[in-house]
Amino acid sequence: MSDAILIPALVWVTLLLVGGGLALVRARDVLQRLIAFDSLAVLVIALLAMLSYLRDVGYYLDAAVALALLSFTATVAAARYLASGGPFG
Amino acid sequence: MISTVLDVIGGVLLFLGLTLMTISLYGILRRPDTYGQLHAQGLATGPGVIAVLASSIGTENAAIITFAVLAIAFVTLTSPVSGHAIARAAHERRGSGRTGS
Repeated sequence: MSDAILIPALVWVTLLLVGGGLALVRARDVLQRLIAFDSLAVLVIALLAMLSYLRDVGYYLDAAVALALLSFTATVAAARYLASGGPFG
Repeated sequence: MISTVLDVIGGVLLFLGLTLMTISLYGILRRPDTYGQLHAQGLATGPGVIAVLASSIGTENAAIITFAVLAIAFVTLTSPVSGHAIARAAHERRGSGRTGS
């Protein structure tokens, strides 16, 4: 894929990260903070994928998959803790 | 010929994914309650990131496409589960009367 598409896309996702930070600051409830955190993780996954396309190497996607796994675990653990007081309760 | 077609498909998918992520972030910033924000967030964690990862066919690199397919499978499996966990937490907190929204 050409750099003329990817560089504006990377800039745009970086601006979306700033918007996600704004959503994280503006959240009133802890669950809204959790939602903003999850969408920030998704934006970083997209950023890593596009960096992988730009440099034409595959190993940035390893970091993207690992980040997806960590974000999923963190979200589910925090949501279950907020719902019932424990990850297995 | 086929390279140009794949490049165009990749660019269109990338544009689609970025558009979905932008709409989703606008929804998260605009909706006042947790359920509405969760509804908007499902657009980015589901179709948005899948479209961005599927645009890897534009690179024509086998290693990148393989890992992108793995990441698509992982995101497809996990994003509804985390959304459901957040929704259930919001429901139980509202039931106990602790949430402010």
